[in-house]
Amino acid sequence: MVENDFDRPGASPENASTAHSTARGLDAETAAEQPTAAAVESSVAETPTTESNAGDSSASHPSSERQSAGGSTAAESTNGIISARDLDVYYGDERALRDVSIEIRSERVTAIIGPSGCGKSTFLRCFNRMNDLIQSARVDGRVEFEGTNIYDDDVDPVALRRRIGMVFQQPNPFPKSIFDNVAYGLRTQDDTENLDERVERALKRAALWDEVEGDLDKSALDLSGGQQQRLCTARAIAVDPDIILMDEPASALDPIATSKIEDLIEELAEDYTVVIVTHNMQQAARISDRTAVFLTGGELVEYGDTDQIFENPESDRVEDYITGKFG
Amino acid sequence: MAQEQSAGSGQGFAGDSGVSRIRGRVFEWLTLGATVFGLVMVTALLAYVFNDAIRPFSADPLWHLVYATTVVLPALVLLATYYTSDEPAGEVAIASTGIPIVGLVAGSGLVVLFIELLTPADWFGLVVGLVCAAAVVRLHQLTRPNAAVERLFVIVLAPLLAITGIPAMNIQRTFSSPLTTTEIVTIDAATPSLLPSVGDVLRPLLTAVPGWVLLVAAVTLPVATLFGRQVAARRGDGRGVREVVVGSVGLVAVGSLVAPLFGLAPQHWVLLATTAVLPTGVYLEGVVRRRTGVLGVAFPIVLGAGLVLGTALTNAFGLAGPSSWIGWDFLTSPTSITPEDAGIYPPLVGSVLMLVVIITLVFPIGVGAAIYLEEYAPKTGARGRLVELIEINIGNLAGVPSVVYGLLGLGLFVKGIGLDSGIVIVGGLTVGLLILPIVIISAQEAVRAVPDSLRRASYGMGATKWQTTRNVVLPRALPGILTGTILALGRAIGETAPLLMIGAAASVRLAPNGFFDKFSAMPRQIFAWSSEFDPDFRFGVLAAGVVTLLLVLLLMNGTAILIRNRYQRSD
Repeated sequence: MVENDFDRPGASPENASTAHSTARGLDAETAAEQPTAAAVESSVAETPTTESNAGDSSASHPSSERQSAGGSTAAESTNGIISARDLDVYYGDERALRDVSIEIRSERVTAIIGPSGCGKSTFLRCFNRMNDLIQSARVDGRVEFEGTNIYDDDVDPVALRRRIGMVFQQPNPFPKSIFDNVAYGLRTQDDTENLDERVERALKRAALWDEVEGDLDKSALDLSGGQQQRLCTARAIAVDPDIILMDEPASALDPIATSKIEDLIEELAEDYTVVIVTHNMQQAARISDRTAVFLTGGELVEYGDTDQIFENPESDRVEDYITGKFG
Repeated sequence: MAQEQSAGSGQGFAGDSGVSRIRGRVFEWLTLGATVFGLVMVTALLAYVFNDAIRPFSADPLWHLVYATTVVLPALVLLATYYTSDEPAGEVAIASTGIPIVGLVAGSGLVVLFIELLTPADWFGLVVGLVCAAAVVRLHQLTRPNAAVERLFVIVLAPLLAITGIPAMNIQRTFSSPLTTTEIVTIDAATPSLLPSVGDVLRPLLTAVPGWVLLVAAVTLPVATLFGRQVAARRGDGRGVREVVVGSVGLVAVGSLVAPLFGLAPQHWVLLATTAVLPTGVYLEGVVRRRTGVLGVAFPIVLGAGLVLGTALTNAFGLAGPSSWIGWDFLTSPTSITPEDAGIYPPLVGSVLMLVVIITLVFPIGVGAAIYLEEYAPKTGARGRLVELIEINIGNLAGVPSVVYGLLGLGLFVKGIGLDSGIVIVGGLTVGLLILPIVIISAQEAVRAVPDSLRRASYGMGATKWQTTRNVVLPRALPGILTGTILALGRAIGETAPLLMIGAAASVRLAPNGFFDKFSAMPRQIFAWSSEFDPDFRFGVLAAGVVTLLLVLLLMNGTAILIRNRYQRSD
């Protein structure tokens, strides 16, 4: 398992410029040698050499069979940052995700939509291994981040989560002061240089600074729901992650607070990669660049540019869902 | 019966609409009846015992009248005004009266501890040792920030070495089988002391220093620092630590020079001032700064003035107070063959020392077990089932009769390990085992009550399990853990049967002054009084003992409630 199935030195997330999301496997050593920005050479990456490794589920599929659902316009260069391949998640015997393959683009907002129970939150949690905390959950397949399969045995989920932050459905600030909440991640990582400054920056980035400037010592629980959710976002970006996962961040909020969160997400996408799960299709249409549609059974049915998904979906089922015929 | 009309007259909704509430009403009245019954029984019991112990009707009726007009009436009037017009003032009134009283009682406990157990020099050495250990840990953290395992050793070993050093060992023990009394193994080993503890090093240097100076340094200074930080945190600007520390230490130090003039030993003053005066001062500072309910401060002043006035009046007119069994003499003297001279001091000290053993045993083990079971233990698979089995059995252990635990203590600690029967540590260990399951279960409840969303938030930030437990779960669960532990300790202090089994003395003339001394505990002494022939013992002294025990219990439960309320409000 630890040994990698694909060996393509030179490949990096920079050079996948084809319409289909490409399967890119780098083993850990290669990734270490190849900083993301360094790889300029573009390679056609349709069929990497495959060395099947008995016992590894993902190795049983040659990558040429693998296609991401939905075609995207090939015009813009896509900077993939994290990708899932043949991802299956089981809760006990129940299969919550089926063969999901997707590539998330860097510094974009990717929305994941779908009806209740379609596995979209489960899927989101796969990106920072939060499913590890659910005892009955089992994940098969690969999620590649900087060329490493994050489900490899030698990957530390704690270190991973420091790079991939998360904002949850219910605002869940710690019962501490506002300052301590934002500083929590930095203190956790023993990274307390210029703490005041970095807390201020995170709060400004999360558009909360003006409202709490004088009250940093007040309890975070005294804030309103919308403010709490922005605080949780500030808390997540204080440690400067690469990716921010958001699990229905606005579903517990009123419309005004929701619109503030939406503005915030669009702004965050300038510096961060945002993956957001939402059951609100209008929200997905408003704020996302790319949209993935999951339908019942844990299938990724279509993935592409948001405009195309909402105006001209390829799949009839997706069209039915988007137009409100079911779901 | 109750539903008979519901089908027939389902249409109307005015007046007799046919909705039956008879069963609901009956149920409501029954539950009310049960509640009232419980309350009345407890009140009757308390009134009976207090009447026997204090004998209020033996006082001159005029004595009652004087105190009613000087203390009770003004207090009631003030309370009534607070609760009708100025609610925060009512809270301030209760707190500013309660804090000094609780502080005085706690301070008295410390005085007992320092008279019976520790010299100020010992305590000073202990505190300096811990400070040194903390400094060593900090140094290690700065010089080798990444050596986590090594630091774990430093954290464990540094305080241990600082407090105990490497003492001389002289072990000569024969372990024999408890059933057949055949010898199993004999250990005979002796090593010299390799490293003196910090206390041992300091002790010769401290002989010239008066005890109260050491207490100011080792008790008042840390407490004042804590309070100072609290004040600074409340102010929000982080300032004020130095002012509080300098002010408190100065006040206590000056006070200890003045205290002998009022017949109070300087050491006792230092302890009482630290536990009663400082918290009150810090509380009042907060009240004055917030400017809410400042009027409540009048309550303790009126109460104190009323007491002074009442005492002056009763003395002037020669009015006799109640000839109460319980009083200062009762609390400070040992039992006697004459009921008038009997007191409860040695068992009181015995109970307190036993509690010290119980707390040091039960708190770390109980809380540790609870955290393991809730946070770390596997929930699924074969090992998960094993954990489940363990949890069920902890529940069963909580229900095992206390006399059985007494037997266990006797077999394990007296016959097995070979400790003397009836000494403090055996009593503490036995009763500690008895309440351990209760502590584990209540701590588990508290840990389980921490919302999962907080754990997820912490993990989502890239915190490790330990960081999550330490920074999120424990702080949030601590009030619940403390409440449960204190309530369990309340049960421990009242246990009698295990003490009978391990051979605790019925009554002792001298209070124990170490953990390996023979002791008697309050319930054991009360049980002994109950079989005296003289009715004055059975109805007077016994009642006074029960009231003492109840007051200690009330104090502990009150503390538990205070802790709970305090943390609930801050959420």
